[in-house]
Amino acid sequence: MSAEDMGKLSHRVRLVFAISTVTCVAALAISPLKDFRAEWKHYKRSFVRFAQGRPDTKRLLADYNPNIDQAWIPGMNVVDRCGTCHQGMTQPSLADASVPQPFRAHPPIPHSPRDWGCTICHRGQGPATEVAEAHETTLAWEQPILPAHFLEASCGSCHQADLNETPQLTRGRELLSRLNCQACHRLSNLDRSSLGPDLSSLGYKVSRQWIYKWLKEPRTVLDKDGNVTVNGYESGDESRMPKFRLKEEELLALSGYLSAQKAKPIEEYKINPAVVALWSKKPDLMSQAEVRFRQMMCTTCHPLAVTRAGETKLIGGNVGPELTKVGSKVNEQWLVAWLRNPQGYLPHNNMPRYGWSDDDLYKVSHYVMNKLTDSDLLAGVPQLGVATENEIKNGKRLFLEKGCASCHQIEGSSPQKDFGPDLTALGAKNASELEFGKSTIAHNLPAYIQTKLQDPLSVNPAARMPQYSWNQADLDAVTTALLSQTGPKPTSTLQHLVVPKKDPSFQAMGDFAEVYERYKCYACHRFNGVGGTLAPDLSYEGSRAQKKWIADFLKNPQTIRPTLVLRMPQFNMTDKEAMTVAEYLSMAVQKPGVNPDSIDPQKYSPAAAALGKQLYEVKFQCQSCHTIGSGGGYVGPNLNNAGNWLTPAWIEAWLRNPQALQPDSIEPQRNFTDDEIHALTAYLMTLRAGIKPGTTATATVATPLVQGAGR
Amino acid sequence: MKSKMQLTAMFLVGLLGVPLLSGCKKAAAVKPDEAFGTYDTEADWSDGTKVVKLGYQESQGKRVFYQYCVWCHADASPAGPSNRSNLTPQPPLLNDGEKLNQESDEFMQNIITLGGSALGKSAMMPPYGKTLSPGEIKAVIAFARAIAQPAYQPPGRPGSQYTTK
Repeated sequence: MSAEDMGKLSHRVRLVFAISTVTCVAALAISPLKDFRAEWKHYKRSFVRFAQGRPDTKRLLADYNPNIDQAWIPGMNVVDRCGTCHQGMTQPSLADASVPQPFRAHPPIPHSPRDWGCTICHRGQGPATEVAEAHETTLAWEQPILPAHFLEASCGSCHQADLNETPQLTRGRELLSRLNCQACHRLSNLDRSSLGPDLSSLGYKVSRQWIYKWLKEPRTVLDKDGNVTVNGYESGDESRMPKFRLKEEELLALSGYLSAQKAKPIEEYKINPAVVALWSKKPDLMSQAEVRFRQMMCTTCHPLAVTRAGETKLIGGNVGPELTKVGSKVNEQWLVAWLRNPQGYLPHNNMPRYGWSDDDLYKVSHYVMNKLTDSDLLAGVPQLGVATENEIKNGKRLFLEKGCASCHQIEGSSPQKDFGPDLTALGAKNASELEFGKSTIAHNLPAYIQTKLQDPLSVNPAARMPQYSWNQADLDAVTTALLSQTGPKPTSTLQHLVVPKKDPSFQAMGDFAEVYERYKCYACHRFNGVGGTLAPDLSYEGSRAQKKWIADFLKNPQTIRPTLVLRMPQFNMTDKEAMTVAEYLSMAVQKPGVNPDSIDPQKYSPAAAALGKQLYEVKFQCQSCHTIGSGGGYVGPNLNNAGNWLTPAWIEAWLRNPQALQPDSIEPQRNFTDDEIHALTAYLMTLRAGIKPGTTATATVATPLVQGAGR
Repeated sequence: MKSKMQLTAMFLVGLLGVPLLSGCKKAAAVKPDEAFGTYDTEADWSDGTKVVKLGYQESQGKRVFYQYCVWCHADASPAGPSNRSNLTPQPPLLNDGEKLNQESDEFMQNIITLGGSALGKSAMMPPYGKTLSPGEIKAVIAFARAIAQPAYQPPGRPGSQYTTK
């Protein structure tokens, strides 16, 4: 290489060097300029201008600093810079909706944003300093902010106990548990619900055609307005059996296998032929049967479609299965055996064992088999004979493969463990960890969960998950509950923040335990947190009700609330059973400090009662909510028989503080003086009405049936 | 040799240029679904096709209302019939803007806390001050304001109509 060449070359190098230097200097110059124009600085300056335009400028700018505001909560793994832009978050004067975001104050919540930061509830990227990175999913920042509609999910990741303030989360958890999602998925912190029915002896109960129809199209569908309907009637609740997309040969095999399940023969019962002979000749058999069916109050627990004024609706409780077309489902022998002894067919179920007379048994079963029917129910179902060996074998395999065994038991089949994916940390997943398939939905977690729940195949054509039908509110509730499953807290400090659930316990003892089990009191009533919520909580019934009243009520139950038509069924208890319950409740099921025998009802003078009547009617106007005689409100229980029903100790304690005895009572606590409490109790103890004979139930059914708040 | 130099130079420029450029262009961001943006909603009482958006405080008010107040201040209650028809004078519906819009927040807070008789109104309205917290009562008022028909206008909003954009 010549010297000239060298010169040329070095000239070029010099040129390159010069360009690089200039670029470098330019870059250094641009960097502070860029920094000056940073998005967050714009909001900082805007806030100053905004504050200067308001009368309380001084207070708004008292702790202003031009740098990044950062909340650091080491114990909770929180680094939040949200306050850099959201500068008015804790300024009460900025709560008005006319204040522009991001300066508006945070609405009052139980946890101050100052102590807890923002991302614990809202998620998103705490350390980010740009709007998009803090709120949304970008390439580098994966955790988007949680949409406001599902915010209650964040409450649920620490509060395992249910909160009053989070109805959507509570409903979602209830649904996860009711629909038995845990049968296939792992989920944390949920009540274990009962499984679907044991199918070991299904062959005795229903026909193969019915099984075929049920598997193909479980009765719940969405109507044209998107409402959940059961057999075409609008319903508030999902059916628990989802739709499995089964092919024709799968339907044949499964129906064959299930109809061949005959592990334990039914206890056949012959209704006294004299009763049958007597009734079957009577022309008014069906109307008498209908009356008896209604008097048995089956609808207190079982939904039933009823048409009134041209509108068909499901009425009744949701404790037992829906009965509208049950006559076309079960066989009559099975029904009679079931009614007599439900636990003979399914050892663990909540149907009480009534004391039936042959007369009632004949009438009720006759009504169910002949009136609660639908001749079209099995239309379109092929004629199916006895299952072939091959069908049974395939059916057995499908029963395990499709996940039926996760909810239903059959003797000799054991379910596969962890059939569906573990969902305990679903709420903490990033969008990149999810499978969206060919669906065109927004790539974020809430949209994914909702789409998957509504149509499992849309995100994964090979999904085994069956099809549920949701109304929008329930879909949102379940999504919230699933988003709250964020897995174990990462550090032990955080673990301490988890608010655990209380474990309820109630143990029935002695003779009472037998009656309690026979009549399944806990299917509807709750005792210290154990049991159903359909009927009043009886945790303190011994303090509340007089012993004699309890025994009389059990023999002849009446509604106490004026708006309630559904009531406790008459179980035909023996006097001894009723007394056992009354005695046990009075002795052992009390509110501590409210001893039913501590106040002698004789101590109230007529003068006190007269004063009490004055207070009741004029000063406190209790008649706005309570009924006495024919006048008064519908909100509280009627007090016609308060003197026979309630214990004076309970009335006094109740007037002092209703919520101490029943936390969810809506009766407000008043400022009664001791004298007023004495006088009001004296008055209420004078209210006595004889219990009317039980046949009045017939008349009440004619009015529109209403499922009310059972309290 | 020559090309190697050029390459080095280009590499240098590139090295400086990439971060400069990348800072200018934002990566495409995915926005959360619009429909999820509201904490809670309530169907408009006088027009079933409309929906009122509720924030956290208003939705807490909705919860308290449907537990305690709905019996007398709505046309139907969870148990079916409304208790309104049993009462004289008839209590206002919660969305009755004609009546409630003219009452101040302080008055509403007081009548719920102390009851009707303390403010010279019907004694049939019992006091809830010992049963509900002040926050819950404020929330009910916020809910009433949100669903009011005709719409509620808060008295004299302080501050300018300043916006950030």
